[in-house]
Amino acid sequence: MTSMERVLAALSGTPQPRPPFTLALSLYGARLSGCPLSRYFRDAESYGAGQQAVYDSFAPDILFSPFALPLEAEAFGSEVIFLPDYAPNVRKPAVRSAEAFLDLDMPDVDNHPSLLYLRQAIASTAARVHGEVPVCGILTAAVDLPAIVMGIDQWLETLLFDGDRAAAILTRCIDHFAALANAMLHDGAAFIAVPAMFTNPRLVFRRMIDDLILPAMARSFALVRGPIVFHHGGNPMVPFLEDYLDLPGVVGYAVDHRDPLGKARHLLGPEKLLLGNINGPALARLSPQRALAKVDDILHDRQDDYRFIFLNAGADIPLDTPPELLQAISRKITSYTGGM
Amino acid sequence: MNEGDPRKLLIDLILIGERQQAMTLLCRSAEAFGWRQTIFTLLEPALEDIGRRWEAEHISLAAGYLAGKIAEEVLLRAAEQEESLPEVKGPIILGNTEDDYHSLGRKLVAIFLRTGGWKVIDLGNDVLAEDFVEAAERHEAKIIGVSAMMLSTAENIAKIRNLLEKRGLSADIKLAVGGAVFKLRPELVAEVGGDGTAANAVDAPGLMARLLGEEARP
Ligand code: B12
Repeated sequence: MTSMERVLAALSGTPQPRPPFTLALSLYGARLSGCPLSRYFRDAESYGAGQQAVYDSFAPDILFSPFALPLEAEAFGSEVIFLPDYAPNVRKPAVRSAEAFLDLDMPDVDNHPSLLYLRQAIASTAARVHGEVPVCGILTAAVDLPAIVMGIDQWLETLLFDGDRAAAILTRCIDHFAALANAMLHDGAAFIAVPAMFTNPRLVFRRMIDDLILPAMARSFALVRGPIVFHHGGNPMVPFLEDYLDLPGVVGYAVDHRDPLGKARHLLGPEKLLLGNINGPALARLSPQRALAKVDDILHDRQDDYRFIFLNAGADIPLDTPPELLQAISRKITSYTGGM
Repeated sequence: MNEGDPRKLLIDLILIGERQQAMTLLCRSAEAFGWRQTIFTLLEPALEDIGRRWEAEHISLAAGYLAGKIAEEVLLRAAEQEESLPEVKGPIILGNTEDDYHSLGRKLVAIFLRTGGWKVIDLGNDVLAEDFVEAAERHEAKIIGVSAMMLSTAENIAKIRNLLEKRGLSADIKLAVGGAVFKLRPELVAEVGGDGTAANAVDAPGLMARLLGEEARP
């Protein structure tokens, strides 16, 4: 069975001995291929080579596009800093007001080098695994993008005190989101994943979410010509999961490590994919025994759940995580047969 | 709404995002009792309550941000009326650590520290360990407060601790740390050599007082 078949089986809920599994190893490919991050996050072929190394080392069932949301902000004019040991960050937002945002030219997904890099990295990765392993394209939610184009404080300010401009900005971001998502799907992504932060009541007022944020998310998702995974973005999601169930095009939900998987499944119903949930960024802090015991617990907890995909929660697996631990996790899951 | 109790009403207004009405309430109180009194008996207790809710994750970043905006405006108006708070405590040297550009957390911390009567010297983003320590020595500050959002930038805080050690300053200068990643990984505080943290900006004045072994203002 190829990884693609395994993931498709999960999508249709077909029983299989073990769930598909993957880890957020976008960053980690650079360690495996010995590539400096300033090249890895600029040169699509280097990125593809890193993902090839991820596949060769751990055989995950899904590979990822560069998890580097700031590159989208860069396409709008933000200044980006390349860190020696982490994904790039925004150093300086492109603009500092809602008015200035609305004066910006929209970046062209067919021309801007940062966006072409993201697209070509997908194409390179997909070509290397010959369509046998699905590649997931990661992009910034339309409602989050302003936070890295104008600064999170200015985006909050606009959402709170200038509803009209916030709506106008969202319309721009929705256009960008749809263009990039569809380009990623065209270039070889089997589906896209969207970490979402400003959808969460831990960030903004509930009424803002209901009146502005969720309608914008729905509009953006409706324009995407492929399946979507909605990702928790670093916040617990189960308390609010019901609010996101009607978003169009979403086939699966990736929850936080603090979210109980059983409860998540209950809220999702039987039809949607559930992805989760060991804490990726903190993996290296656990002893290997504890990490593997957690993996075991998750596998047993989900053993009859044929629409479950094992994925770490949170951001990328940090570079200092030992490869032996990731190999052990991979072995544990790939040798599991409790599902049938 | 808690029509009768202005403190509760202020909290409610902030929690539902009513900046204008919250300011009207504060201005009315200031007309009657003056800004200083308004800050001590109305604004600060309301902020403390909001801090508790923030810590318990019952309120949003937007509500915290709004509270910060309101506190900032109150301080400004008080200053215009020449009723500004005497900055009796501090100074505290504040900044984002080397390579960190996530200024919102730091800015909110600065606002709430000032509201709590602390003098704050804000060095901005991407501050090198050297610059933190030199500023602390120059201003005779007893606390350095450092903000970092990501794990990789938080690890740069260890450089400040090392420098404090090297110069024999660790006993005299406390290192307060904070930012999104510390909430996810509390053990990181000790790992980078921090003396303490606060989960949100409203709790920052309390942390600073504890670090100096002082009581927070009653
Ligand atoms: C909103 C958000 C985003 C938004 C906007 C980011 C921004 N600020 O520009 C978007 C979607 C664009 C985003 C993108 C990314 N993000 Co982000 N994001 C978040 C989220 C949800 C909130 C962060 C935030 O800004 N909070 C608001 C500020 C004000 O809060 P704060 O920093 O915690 O500060 C408060 C307290 O900590 C305290 N405090 C702060 N400083 C200090 C200092 C002292 C002395 C004291 C006492 C207190 C104190 O007071 C502040 C106010 O109450 C967090 C997860 C979370 N739940 O926290 C992830 C998170 C920070 N992001 C993360 C990551 C990885 C990223 C990306 C690198 C992803 C990528 N690979 O592309 C990018 C980088 C973007 C960039 N900035 O360059 C990770 C970091 C993980 C790690 N181990 O380092 C987090 C933790 C999510 C996760 N679990 O994976 N992100």
